[in-house]
Amino acid sequence: MEESGSILCDLGALDSLSDDEIQEILNIYAQFCAATEALLNDTGNLSLRSEFVAHVQSLCKHGLESLVLNHFLRALEENFETNGAMEFWGHFDAYQNIALLNTCNQPHSDEEVREVLCKALEEVSLKKKCQEEFLSILVHVLQSYKYDVMEKGRQYDAETEVVRVFAKYQLLVSSVLMATLPRHFPDLLHWYFKGKLEELSVVMAGELNGDYESQCKDDMDLDGKGRISSKSGQRDFHESYQLEKFSNIHQLVKNIGKVVLDLRSLGFTSMAEDAYASAIFSLLKAKVDYLAGDDYRSSVLEPIKEWIRAVPLHFLHSLLAYLGNSADNSSPLLSLKSSLAPHASSFNSGVDTPEGLIRWQSRLEYFAYETLQDLRIAKLFEIIVDYPDSSPAIEDLKQCLEYTGQHSKLVESFISALRYRLLTAGASTNDILHQYVSTIKALRTIDSAGVFLEAVGEPIREYLRGRKDTIKCIVTMLTDGTGGNSNVSGNTGASLLEELNRDEDGQENVGLDDDFHTDDKQAWMNASRWEPDPVEADPLKGGRTRRKVDILGMLVSIIGSKDQLVNEYRVMLAEKLLNKSDYDIDSEIRTLELLKIHFGESSMQKCEIMLNDLIDSKRTNSNIKATIKVPSQTVDLKESTISMNDFDATILSSNFWPPIQDENLNLPASVDHLLTDYAQRFHEIKTPRKLQWKRNLGTVKLELQFEDREVQFTVAPVHAVIIMQFQHQKSWSAKSLAAAIGLPVDVLSRRINFWVNKGILTESRAADSTDHVYVLIENMIDTSKNVSNNGNNEDLMVGEDEGEGSVASVEDQIRKEMTIYEKFILGMLTNFGSMALDRIHNTLKMFCVADPSYDKSIQQLQSFLSGLVSEEKLELRDGMYLLKK
Amino acid sequence: MAAINRHTDNTTPANAVVSPAKKSLPPAKTADSQSVLKRLQSELMALMMSGDSGISAFPEEDNIFCWKGTITGSKDTVFEGTEYRLSFSFPNDYPFKPPKVKFETGCFHPNVDIYGNICLDILQDKWSSAYDVRTILLSIQSLLGEPNISSPLNTQAAQLWSNQEEYRKMVEKLYKPPTAA
Repeated sequence: MEESGSILCDLGALDSLSDDEIQEILNIYAQFCAATEALLNDTGNLSLRSEFVAHVQSLCKHGLESLVLNHFLRALEENFETNGAMEFWGHFDAYQNIALLNTCNQPHSDEEVREVLCKALEEVSLKKKCQEEFLSILVHVLQSYKYDVMEKGRQYDAETEVVRVFAKYQLLVSSVLMATLPRHFPDLLHWYFKGKLEELSVVMAGELNGDYESQCKDDMDLDGKGRISSKSGQRDFHESYQLEKFSNIHQLVKNIGKVVLDLRSLGFTSMAEDAYASAIFSLLKAKVDYLAGDDYRSSVLEPIKEWIRAVPLHFLHSLLAYLGNSADNSSPLLSLKSSLAPHASSFNSGVDTPEGLIRWQSRLEYFAYETLQDLRIAKLFEIIVDYPDSSPAIEDLKQCLEYTGQHSKLVESFISALRYRLLTAGASTNDILHQYVSTIKALRTIDSAGVFLEAVGEPIREYLRGRKDTIKCIVTMLTDGTGGNSNVSGNTGASLLEELNRDEDGQENVGLDDDFHTDDKQAWMNASRWEPDPVEADPLKGGRTRRKVDILGMLVSIIGSKDQLVNEYRVMLAEKLLNKSDYDIDSEIRTLELLKIHFGESSMQKCEIMLNDLIDSKRTNSNIKATIKVPSQTVDLKESTISMNDFDATILSSNFWPPIQDENLNLPASVDHLLTDYAQRFHEIKTPRKLQWKRNLGTVKLELQFEDREVQFTVAPVHAVIIMQFQHQKSWSAKSLAAAIGLPVDVLSRRINFWVNKGILTESRAADSTDHVYVLIENMIDTSKNVSNNGNNEDLMVGEDEGEGSVASVEDQIRKEMTIYEKFILGMLTNFGSMALDRIHNTLKMFCVADPSYDKSIQQLQSFLSGLVSEEKLELRDGMYLLKK
Repeated sequence: MAAINRHTDNTTPANAVVSPAKKSLPPAKTADSQSVLKRLQSELMALMMSGDSGISAFPEEDNIFCWKGTITGSKDTVFEGTEYRLSFSFPNDYPFKPPKVKFETGCFHPNVDIYGNICLDILQDKWSSAYDVRTILLSIQSLLGEPNISSPLNTQAAQLWSNQEEYRKMVEKLYKPPTAA
């Protein structure tokens, strides 16, 4: 039946054959088949070979060489499939589960698998080699027959024929193996290479360290001159050690190379390559993870690159060199390219393929960049939290991003981290601002154009706008790092001040540039510095010049307008200045100058006047004291212990100060007299101006003398007035004390808590149930008892007390503004019945334009309206506001 | 109240329902809308700040030339406890011409007709640019309590005015509180 193919090809020859001849051919063919079978199953017997050769020759005589070839190849295939492939895969059956589970950590089975793999590969290669040998015999016979028959000129053609036959065989082997490939084999290969590479990297790392150590030792030895002999001995030792190491590595690479070679010869070129590539990558990833870790204080990019050069590239270099060499050394047949992976082998096969290595290097480096970038992006929040320390990590990230260009990934992941971790009710405004500033600084390094910063900053800004204390915190951060809220880390404040300075410098530079610029040159410089915006830039947000990354500007943009910031600053400055007992305002002046540069002279004008008031006060104060010195000293000393010298006044131009809380106080007569005297003298000096005392402002330094101790305090005038009443009378009822001081009883009882909490006074219920009695405590013993009694509510009281400033806070001012709007709102609701929130908002915006114009957000309006609702002025029904009837 | 009453005391009977005072005060200058706008805005601010009880007015949402006003009846008058909605329409040359003022809510009053037209001298020939929305509102409020019987638009009301008790009943019967705009 098998003849039919060839007979069809040569019908003429078939006709000329006699029956005997046909019989003979059939006989020979049967013998040939048997010989083939025997030859393939029993390798050792030489006589079988000659017999086989004889059969082939006789069949060739009948012109049946193609039939012979086909049959032989088929027999080879069957034989390889049943013997070679089955056996080969059989080796790995045991590791199916292990490979699937990726339990690489078992050194025992690991080693075992490697051995099995090597053995199996060897066996199957041997089998293949053997079969190739038979094939070459056959081809040789066919060749020599053809040579006899054909003209000499056709020989050249025969050469390619051989190549074609072997290629066919190669394909056959690969396809048989591929067809029977078990699913876990790639994993197994990956595993194998990984293990080998780890081994290699350990050896190489040892080598690196060894180098380093030996160098160190050399250096040390150089110091001790007397030990030259021992040094040389050591060096010998090192050299031999090095050599051994080198040979170790060489051996290792050779082993791996052999496996790769074997695999390649079996047609697994691409699979082998995938396997060792993935092994290298996973090793690299592990290395990056290990190096990068959670430490942001050092740059890891360089070490990683170094490691890439030291380990994987070194390995690849040796591997490629080995493969190239062996390919050259072995028969040309082996270097035949597998048709299954033409590309991969084409760039791997050469010996000196710097191109291949370079390609590997850039691949590995890109992978390292990407891995590091992902790692850093995932931890960006933490990195920014300890920003100034973590700048190496930021620098790394910047380089990575320059390489990979995946900025959007950063933006996305960072925003979600922010939302999850920072912008929550639990985070204090200071922390958020701190983080915001760090973010600005950090991202400024990564992307100087500020495009990504804009995207990242938006959620923070949005959130901060909803916080009430944002402005206050910003101002506090701006003006002093430590003051105000103790939660502010000094770091931030300092850095913000620094930021003010920085911007000042920047602007000076700009000024300098302007001075000597020649238009063309400047234009050219600008043009050459131009870079296109990143693709992610929002074209709506304007050109890059407007996106100058300016921390102060970004903070102001949270608030919306600089006026609010300036206002808040004014209030804070007022508070600060009023509490100053000396006239030392150098730091305030400096801050103000910086702010002036930023916000313009005109907006800071009021603050400047406030500072000038202080300076003027100092002068006026000393002038007044100069006039008073001689006559008053004697008089005052007699009447009371307070003299004008103990006393400094701050004279305000109240128009320019924020509204000041007024609280009337009856000062002790001696003090009051002093004040009027002072005011008199002021009037004499500064006619027609007159002093109006704000008796509740300022600070008083007190020394209280008790029977057993002396205590010093620096307190508000109210507190001083209260305690002075106890100077002559040890016990006061709340009502009479309030009358004496001129305060309402409720205010008094709030203020007097200061002394109660200090343990100076004690409070008890009077006979009249609506009244309280305060008694001065002279002895410490009583005090401790009373303090323990009052201990519970102390914190509460103190907190309450601190909350009261001398200057109307910005919230108060806003409330005051809102009362104007209240009238408008009541007016419109009277005439329109009921209105929805946004209509009220729009109407206010439209008609409330005179001073103060309506500039509140709809949220502010809403909270204000709900305030009115709770005051029962308005009613909210179905989302419509209407007047409460 | 005394100051306000002066306007109504001096009221001369006006015959026409609404006679646009074309002759009075030719526009001294072509009033550009900007200055009118400013004037109306400052009037609004003044009105809001004045805090007069019982009178109020506010521009409609998109047009500052159209206002809605509200007047409540003064105490101890037959209109006590009632509330009337008014509409103001300001001309482009305001304040050189008076605004058109009408009752939106039906008002049983000798000087108010069934269409809500008001007979009030300062809204016609006695208009002066010194008047503003607030004075108009106060004038109308006092007009409620002290109508000009001699030249009524609503004769029934004028006749009934002498009998205050009956009048009060009539007011209560006809009064419909203004609905939300």
